[in-house]
Amino acid sequence: MMDRMRHTLTDALTNLGRAGWSGLASVGTIAVAFLIVGIFLLLTQNLSAALGQWRDQYQVTVFLDDRIAADQLALLKKRIANERAVRAVAYISKAEALQAFKRELKGRESLLEGLGENPIPASFQLRIQEENQTPAALRQLAAFLSRLEGVEEVQYGQEWIDRMAAVLNVMRLIGLSVGLALGVASLLIVSNTVRLAIYARAEEIEIMRLVGATKTTVRLPFLLEGLIQGGAGAGLALGLLFAAYRITLYKLQMAPGQASGLGLGSFLPASAVMTMLAVGAALGAIGSLLSVSRLLRA
Amino acid sequence: MIQMYHVYKTFGRDVEALVDVSLHIEKGEFAFLAGPSGAGKTTLLRLIYRDEVPTSGQIVVNGRNVLKLPGRHLPHLRRTIGVIFQDFKLLRDRAVFENLALVARVLGMRTVAGKRKVAQVLRLVGLSHRANTIPYKLSGGEQQRVAIARALMNDPLILLADEPTGNLDAELAADIFRLLREINAKGTTVLVATHDMDLAGEHGRHVLTLKQGRIVEDYRDGR
Repeated sequence: MMDRMRHTLTDALTNLGRAGWSGLASVGTIAVAFLIVGIFLLLTQNLSAALGQWRDQYQVTVFLDDRIAADQLALLKKRIANERAVRAVAYISKAEALQAFKRELKGRESLLEGLGENPIPASFQLRIQEENQTPAALRQLAAFLSRLEGVEEVQYGQEWIDRMAAVLNVMRLIGLSVGLALGVASLLIVSNTVRLAIYARAEEIEIMRLVGATKTTVRLPFLLEGLIQGGAGAGLALGLLFAAYRITLYKLQMAPGQASGLGLGSFLPASAVMTMLAVGAALGAIGSLLSVSRLLRA
Repeated sequence: MIQMYHVYKTFGRDVEALVDVSLHIEKGEFAFLAGPSGAGKTTLLRLIYRDEVPTSGQIVVNGRNVLKLPGRHLPHLRRTIGVIFQDFKLLRDRAVFENLALVARVLGMRTVAGKRKVAQVLRLVGLSHRANTIPYKLSGGEQQRVAIARALMNDPLILLADEPTGNLDAELAADIFRLLREINAKGTTVLVATHDMDLAGEHGRHVLTLKQGRIVEDYRDGR
């Protein structure tokens, strides 16, 4: 059994060697397909990680009317805190807000000189429950809050997050459809390569059949050949992608996984890498099977 | 060992390759299928290892009805038959050893057993020293013997030889026949197809003469 498997594997590798350029063409096509899919995956993954981080940072800010009374303030805080979507509420007084603003203006505090009264309103900073961090839920919450007594204005990174989410969805869609199209293309190319390989070895196959080879004995090497081509293509793509990723990080002077606290700069997770390799191998095997069963029916 | 009953083979609509062929070849026989080229000899041989199926009629090989054999059992039939092809069918890009080892692999032999078998059949045909030579660097007679060696890899019950001396001079042809007789002496049923009627008459105890797809004479020595 081991003997036979080793033979089959040796056969497949020898045949790959004989296939030469046409074999490389299939590996190359699969690599291109997976490279493009990989780029989209990597970009969407990083962008959605960034979006998550931004969402966490960009909390909903409820600016308060300057004339709000202390008891009214306490009541309002309670009301907001009781809201299901709200995870935590922090009060920032006018003075604190001014301090923070000054810190941000560091070195240019003179800009604030001449302002008689503190112009910055007090506010509540809200942290939002994970499941409510969708554009729709945030919009709804903001609408509700802005109708409350003593609320001047409600702000959140609404449009920004909406736009980001929309871009992300479009990217996912493009990635998916391009990947699908290229997947089909590589299927056809592998099946074509294997067909050429079968033609090139027609004599050998005929002899094998005439001396009593079973279908499996004849087909297995071709199947394995496709499997290896597919896996190698996906592997090559992942290698290139990883290299490009490291170079990009280096150019941006970021360390892996840690990039200005935005969750940017991580490579595809191991599960995605394994899936891509498996899908590549499966594409190769299926492409090969298509040709083999069509040409070796007898 | 080989029986045919009213076998017809028609190619396309009206090319009659074989017409009402019936024959019996006994176990251990050394039989000849003689006839001019185009008489249907190769077609008849191909029916035996079911590379072709007859248009009508029945064929029994080694006690089994070839036509009723399910496809998955076809390899088993072929493993009991050794075929020496008219055009040898040797792989040109591989040495003699690999040509034979391919059969060992198809038969599912282990590497060591396969090597031993290759060495054995090469010794039998006297080509041990040519194991690593590419077939086209061999002479016609040597290629013929490699083809015979390959047909013997599976210790066949039946050996079918299609024009095994077709393009060899008389001396080499005699060598080949000596070899085939040796194989036959060990119990293998041998059927040789040839266009050379003299050759068939000289060596054959059982000669079937085929003309335009019909058996016109079935001569058996001593009967």
